[in-house]
Formats: sequence, structure tokens, C-alpha cells
Amino acid sequence: MTAPERELSFAMAIQEAMAIAMEADDRVFLMGEDIGVYGGAFQVTGDLVDRFGEERVMDTPISELAGAGVAVGAALTGMRPVFELQFSDFSTLAMEQIVNQAAKLRYMLGGAVSAPLVIRMPTGSGLGGAAQHSQSIEAWYAHVPGLKVVEPTTPHDAKGLLLAAIADPDPVIVFEHKLLYKTKGHVPEGYYTVPLDKAEVRRAGRDVTIAAVGMMAVRALEAADALAQEGIDAEVIDLRSLRPLDTKTIIASVKKTSRLLCVYEGVKAFGVGAEVSAAIAESEAFDYLDAPIMRLGGADAPIPYSPVLEQAAVPQVPDILEAARRLAQGRV
Amino acid sequence: MAVEVILPRVDMDMTTGKLTQWFVAEGERVEKGQPLFEIETDKAAMEIEAAASGVLRAVTAKPGDQLPVGTVVGVIVAPNEDYSAAGVSAPARAVAPAPFVAAPAESLSPDDRAPRPAGERSRMTPAARRVARESGVEVAHLVGSGPHGRIQARDVAARGAPALAEGALNRLWLARGQGRPLAFLHGFGADLNGWRPLVGRLRPGRPLLALDLPGHGLSPLGADSSFEALVEAVEATLVEEGVGDVHLIGHSLGGAVAIALAKRRGKSARSLTLISPAGLGPEVNGDFLAGFLRAESERSLAPWMRLLANDEGALGSAMVKTTIRQRRERDIAAAQRSIAATLFPDGAQAISLRETLANYAGPVKVIFGLDDRIIPARHARGLSGLVALHLFPGVGHMPHFEARSEIARLVEENVAAGE
Repeated sequence: MTAPERELSFAMAIQEAMAIAMEADDRVFLMGEDIGVYGGAFQVTGDLVDRFGEERVMDTPISELAGAGVAVGAALTGMRPVFELQFSDFSTLAMEQIVNQAAKLRYMLGGAVSAPLVIRMPTGSGLGGAAQHSQSIEAWYAHVPGLKVVEPTTPHDAKGLLLAAIADPDPVIVFEHKLLYKTKGHVPEGYYTVPLDKAEVRRAGRDVTIAAVGMMAVRALEAADALAQEGIDAEVIDLRSLRPLDTKTIIASVKKTSRLLCVYEGVKAFGVGAEVSAAIAESEAFDYLDAPIMRLGGADAPIPYSPVLEQAAVPQVPDILEAARRLAQGRV
Repeated sequence: MAVEVILPRVDMDMTTGKLTQWFVAEGERVEKGQPLFEIETDKAAMEIEAAASGVLRAVTAKPGDQLPVGTVVGVIVAPNEDYSAAGVSAPARAVAPAPFVAAPAESLSPDDRAPRPAGERSRMTPAARRVARESGVEVAHLVGSGPHGRIQARDVAARGAPALAEGALNRLWLARGQGRPLAFLHGFGADLNGWRPLVGRLRPGRPLLALDLPGHGLSPLGADSSFEALVEAVEATLVEEGVGDVHLIGHSLGGAVAIALAKRRGKSARSLTLISPAGLGPEVNGDFLAGFLRAESERSLAPWMRLLANDEGALGSAMVKTTIRQRRERDIAAAQRSIAATLFPDGAQAISLRETLANYAGPVKVIFGLDDRIIPARHARGLSGLVALHLFPGVGHMPHFEARSEIARLVEENVAAGE
């Protein structure tokens, strides 16, 4: 009899990744608001401060810009900081350091330095956080040369992507959907990495490709199960990495299914779906398209506080179901 | 007073229409508002009413003509009026813009309302263009099945060069899953899509395979339209799909095919569920077959299709539309005539599978509607005592539409018995 697979929550998988990285490498340390004794806004760092001390699990003042500046400086001088923002929305305050410094310094100094920095950003709606605590702004950072942007959807990937991000010589932004922190799944023991540039086909199918980001990939899988009952065989791609985007996997899928639906929680306009759509339209998969490419994205509005409106503002399972159904049936 | 009779634009995408019949002959009197002729587009057939009272003259179009929108197909003049002086000249000429006549509401979704500018080439998906290019199919006259008449890959494949190898049948896994698959065989004149409503009622988890019989749906008819050839083609397709043990569910002609397949397959045919099966007696409604095969428009097909179900609303109008569309896009009617001539000559069933069925050892359910007007339910009598009969009062030839939940339950039961 084999032992049952070990399960961990998404949050604990991230905590385990950080602990493993800190044990293996003295240069790795954590910083962020309330990540020490309090354990982090979403309790991801938990009791790591007890194990590694306040020098390596460092509470920062309530200044995202100052925190990011320290993180970039530490990275440039040989450390491997993992900087947690309480909400990705607050990263606007730190953008100068992220976009103008961390992302560009290797280029501007002719490769003489690099900024091996990881910034963890809790993202997305669904917890009643309203307009300033619920956005999905992955596309903003995916637009910046010099950054890598990933978004895991399973505990397995949350650990593996974070370990890969910490090992990477350049700045990596890891988006973590707040609704996923408590979800559980198999997480292998010990050190392993998940590549920072590979999408994952979560469900193989023949009739329609659903390429989705973060929480939307989880919802797309649920929709795909329902579609199967109707005889529609959907392929679900968890994009996982937004920059670099794994176009190869999407192209191969669209050549097979001839139909593409892209689902993402960020505002629909100028979002991830635009990039994915254009990548397909410019690729050899174009000649295989048997229907217009469809996008489902967030409403063109701030995320509302009202729970009903909050739900309505981002794609839900029935929205994905109906869109994929129309695509697969040639009604688009 | 001469009033031109014009082939109208009945939906915004329409560029041509087929005049299917005149209700008034040239020289006859017609009242304003009286049905004058019928046209058919890729979306609908509809009657066009006379725009004025008078006498119909100068008819330039005959039934079957495909004409550009705006073509003058005749003229209504006052009795004894010299209509040639009215400036109408034969042959037919097109005028623009054509009047817009409201189409049946169901044929227009909001997305369909955007007009296609005159002269724009037909809408066609990249995949359809690629398939046409690779298979050398001429696309100029293709009718697209997508929104705005967009030509999709399946339209090209249907029209064109054999998308399927000789003998191979169109097949579709309606669901994937674990365990022995269920194979669904439709009846004469139908296609695999007819199983979708029933399949929706089945417990999920099992693999479900549906096939288009030869000369039906998207499956070509080979040179041989014999019953044995149909069975052979289905068997070859099952083998291609890697189907070993299988539960067979057949409706009407598909029921007969299922019985023959069960004989071929022996123990790997785990159960037989036969819905209004053919092959158990000599009678079949020959008038229905003849009328069904003859029909060229929705108007002429609909009355025959109403015979299928006891509750005439059970099937909906989509089935009529689809059948006509398939006939227009492919030479499916000829294939089906050939099959009917072989299997159902002169309104009789030339195939008998009673003995074959008697020799089948697995569980069998025979399901009939007592009000079946195509194959009489009494064909279910006199079978082996081991065969379970399920006779539904108030149900016609389509129990899987008319008593969906009950048939789904019976399929589940029989499959469980055959495991």
C-alpha cells in the first residue's frame, strides 16, 4: 500500500517554498508589512519569524515604495529578497522601484548587475475588498520588459513557481489569487521548481481551447466538466506564466481545436486576452481558426463593494460555460 | 397601375433567394395581402404576399430559380391593362435597393442584423479557407452555417471532397468517461445530433459514442446501399474508435443495425436497447417515407415530420430546418432514396431481424410508442419471453424525444443489466 499523497493548502505550499529557500540559501530573506509576528495579511508567512528570526522575516514600515527600494537595493548587492505586498493594488506606490529600477538596471548597466528579486502580490476579487483591494493588474506588469510575471493556480505550482522565482537571476512578480489560499492539493516534499515560462494543459479536449489566468483557470475547469456532459470537449490551458507567455502551447492547442476563448479577471480591454488573441492571430494557428477569438474579462469598471455586483464584474463559471458553448457550436 | 413583384430581402444578410413555388398562376387574379409565392433562404422559407390587387403577368421566374435579391419576378396589373407599356421588360432584372421584409423573429439574433455591404466577398473562417484550399473545393456557392452566413470548416468539408475516407463514418464522442462505451445509432433520415437531448438525461461518467449512418448527417454513402453494407460501415467505425465491449442503443433503422451488429460482435455487444426498431415486421409507413424523401422545403417537409411524434410539438421546428439545410448542402436526399429503395421498397420492410434477435443472448429492451405512426408497435409482439417490452401510451415514433426521462432510465437499466 502506498501512502496517500501529501496535501497542503496553497498558502502553506508558499510558506514551505520560502522556508526551503531560506534553509538552503542564507541570502534569501522575506520582507513585507505585518509578515512577522502577525504572520502576513493572509497568514502566508505564518510563524516563519519564529524559525528564522526578525532579521530574515522582516516587518517593513507602511511604505510600499520604501520597502520596494530596500528590496531592489538588497538584490543589487547580492541578497535574494522575497517582498510581500498585502494587496497587489498597493504596488502602484512601489512602481518606480519595480518598473524603473528593478526591471531596467541589468539592461542599463550592460549586464554588470542583476536584481534577483521576488515580489509576491495577492490579487483578485471575491472577498469583498472593493475597488482598491480587488484588482487584477497582471497585465500592467506583463507589459514591462525586464520583468517576469507568473500566477499559480494549484498548491503544487505555487511552491514550484516560487522556488523557481527565487532562483531566477532577475525580478519575478508572483500573483497569488486570494480565493486560492485555502484550496488544497498535492504538494511534493522538498525542493522542486516549476518552469517560469510554461503554460499547463489542465484538461485535454478537441472542440474548443479555453486559455485562462489564475482563478479563471479554476473556473474554466469547472465549466469544462459541465460542457463534457453536453458533448463539448474543451481543452483548458492554465497560462500560469504571463511573461514570458507560452505561445507554443496555445498555438498547438488552437491548431487542434480551431476555437479559442481567453478568460481573465483583469479588465477586458488591453488585457491578457488581447495579447493572447494577437499572438494566435499572428501565428500559424491563424489558418486553423474556425470562429472569431473570444475574450471574457473583467468589467470596464472598478470592482464594486456590493457582493452581487462584485460577482457580476468578473467572469463566473456560467459565463465561461455559455461562451465556450456558443463557440463550440459555431454560434459566434 | 403596374406593380412590380420583387424577390424581397427577408433578412439583412441575404443576397439571393430561391423561389420555391407560386401560389398564383400567371393570368390569375390576386388580392392585395394574398400569398403570392414562396421563397427560401438559408435561414427560412416564407410566403410573400401580393403588394397590390390585380392580375399576375410577366412571370419571369419559375420554381427552383435562385435569384438575386431585388429581381423583378412578375408584375401585378389591372385587368386588361397593357402591362408591356408599364415599362416592365423580361427577362428578369435586378433593382436595388430591395425592400426589407421582416423575417420570422427566431431566424434573426441581434448579431445577425449587421448588413453585409454589397459586393463584399463571402464571410469565411480561416479554417474554412484552409480546408477549401487543401481539398480543392470550389467555395463560390457554399452556404455558410455560421452567424451572418459565415462559412465554417464543416460547411466546406460537407460540400467538398470526401472529408472522410471511403467507408468511414462521421462519429462523435458525445461524452468521454470510464467503462464500456454506449454506442448510439440513429434512425432513417436522422443524424447523430438527434441523440443529444436523450444523452443529456443520462448519468454522467460513461463514454458515449454516436455515429452518422452512411448517407446520413456527415457520413457519405458508399457504392453499396445494402443493409449489410450499413452494418459493415458501422462496425468498421467502431473498430477505428477502438471500441471493444459496447452497449448498443438504436432507434428505428438504427435499431435494426444494432441487432445485426450484436450478432457480429457476439459477447462484446453487452446489451441491446431498441427504440421503435425496424426489422421486426413487414409494415412501415410508405407514405411517410415517400413524402419525407420528396420534400424540398420546410413547408412540404413539416407535415410529414409531424407524423413522427404523437405530440406534434415534441420535435420542434429545428429538425425540419436542419433536414432541409442538409439536403441543400449535400446530396443527402439521393443517398437516402437509394437506401430506402433497398431497405423499404414499396412501403415494406425488406429486412427481418426477428431470428437474429432471438439468437442474441444478452439483455434486450424493445421500446415502442403505442401511437407510433411509422412502424406499428405490434411488431414488438411475439418476441422471446426474455426480451423486455416497454410500451408507452400517447407516444409516437420518437420515444427518446417524447419520453426522454423514461427512455434515459431504461437505457441506464439495460446497460446495468449488460455489465
